[in-house]
Order: sequence, then C-alpha cells, then structure tokens
Amino acid sequence: MFDFARSPVPVRDNLKRAYRNIWAHLAQPGPVLDASHRKVLLDAARTGRSDETPPTGIAPPALELLATTLYTNPAAVSETTVRDAADEASDAAVAETVGLVAMLSAVDGAHRVLGVELEALPNPAPGSPTGRIAQGLKRRRTHIPMPSGAIPRALDLVPEVATVWRNSFGAQYMTESEMALHDFRRVPGLDRAQMELVSSRTSLINECFY
Amino acid sequence: MLRESAISFGYDLDLATVGDPAIPTAIPGGNALLDLVDVALGKSDKPLLDAQQAIINTLGPEALVDAAAVLGNFEMMNRVAEGTGIPIPQQSIDRESEIVAALGLLDLIKG
Repeated sequence: MFDFARSPVPVRDNLKRAYRNIWAHLAQPGPVLDASHRKVLLDAARTGRSDETPPTGIAPPALELLATTLYTNPAAVSETTVRDAADEASDAAVAETVGLVAMLSAVDGAHRVLGVELEALPNPAPGSPTGRIAQGLKRRRTHIPMPSGAIPRALDLVPEVATVWRNSFGAQYMTESEMALHDFRRVPGLDRAQMELVSSRTSLINECFY
Repeated sequence: MLRESAISFGYDLDLATVGDPAIPTAIPGGNALLDLVDVALGKSDKPLLDAQQAIINTLGPEALVDAAAVLGNFEMMNRVAEGTGIPIPQQSIDRESEIVAALGLLDLIKG
C-alpha cells in the first residue's frame, strides 16, 4: 500500500506514512459512521454523482450528496447542502464526512500529480461507531459547531477525525513550527514561496480563499 | 503568505501570476509549478508527463513530490473550509489584501 512503484520519482517516507495513517483511519469505524458506511460514502465521492446517477440507498442521500459534491466540486457546496445533510444525519456525521472526503482528496490529488493509479480504498473493519463526539460546541457563523480559532480547529466536533487530519499537515505541507518561518525550505525540495505558489493556484482553481 | 515568503527569498513576485500563469513568476520553476497544478486539476490540456518533466528538469525530483503533496494538502484544506463554512478571519483578509486585490478575490471572500 502506497509503495508508489509507478511514480516517476521516489516518494519520501514521511509522506507515505501520512497517507498510510489516513488509510488506516478510513478503514476504522468513526464517531458516527461505521467503516462500511464510510467506504460507501468515499466510493460514491470518487465515482461522482449526477442527476442520472441515483444515490446508493445505503448512506443517507443528503450526506452522500455532500460527499460527492465536496469531492468533485467543492465550490458548489453551500450552507444548504451541509444543513440538509446535518438535518438528515447529524452535525457530527457531517463533520466526519467532510474530514474523510477532504483527506481522500488530499491523497488522490497527490496521486494525480504523480500520474499514478489511485490507491484502492481499504476494506472496512468491523465494529460499531465510537460515539466520540465533542460536547458544548456552537455554530459560530459556521455550517457546523466548532470552537473559536483558525481552520485547524474546524473538525474538533469529531476529535478522532480531527487528530488524523491535523497529523497529516506536516508531511504534506509544513509542521506548525515550520509554518512560522517565511523562509522555510524543504531540502531537497521546494522552498516556501514555491509551495505557496502551488497552494495559491490550487485554492484559486477551487474558488476557495484558503 | 505568498508575498512574505517571496520577499524572504528575494523573489520579485508579481502576484497576478497566480491568476494568469502566462505571467512570469520570478520564482525559480514557478511557471512550471503553476502549469503542473493546472494540468493536475484539469485546467490545462498539456500532457502530464511534460509538466512533470519540467519540474524534474528545473527543480529536481524531490520538488515534484513536494508539489504533489502541497496540492493534495490544499485540495484537503479547501474542502474542509467549504464543508464547515469556517469564516475567514479579518486579519487573514488584511494580511492578504494585496493578493485579494491582484486577483479580484473579494467576491470569493464574501461568497
């Protein structure tokens, strides 16, 4: 898994580890969704959905629509898309789905840049959802409840998902301490200005300020 | 942050290049990186192999991996931002005012 044997260039080990950690998480039951439902949603996201493609009938339809829209066209996700999914499934199910689809998009995006086949989704592990959902959070002019603060806190409603997500930042982009350095340079590799050029163009194409 | 990091490395960056990759970036390999993003995200019909090779030739093989990882990271962050509706802090808008103006992003922020 994630050996990148067909990659045109060798892939560094810490990035492989980050992707394997994400995959290990995808295979487990989450706070709200069991592992089978997670896989259904992620399969649907990768497949995409149009008016001609009926929902799977396994996952809640509005949650599945959120997953597929978020994966294929994030700018098309509206507050209504999210609220409909939350009304149908719960805020925590939405937070979990957003985290899973976002991490899948990261891994798949890197594979597309390298021109290698997408990694097959992991087989779902048995077990019930963990039920670990943070209490006492509020909507702060946001679609889902979250603490105040910057984007790394956005998924704190589902702490186990948020932890895996945050732990992936360092290998993919920069660690928190590296982010404090405007002149950070990965040696060998890109300097921070080159990295920010990639991130800015990516966000612009996705029509997202972040 | 793009502006600050470019200054740190002494690059005379024109921020408009983010919106128009035909403009020279003044960052080493910068236009090749923009091309790679456009190809990977379906905004350019150039062959992926050519875009990859341009990075390898100008910046080295490790740079291609870094570019893939950073693009992936922002595919991820953009989706968390859109899916959670987290507002953009005013200080971020202020800090990035130059790029907001250069790329006409006010509608994006308000949207």
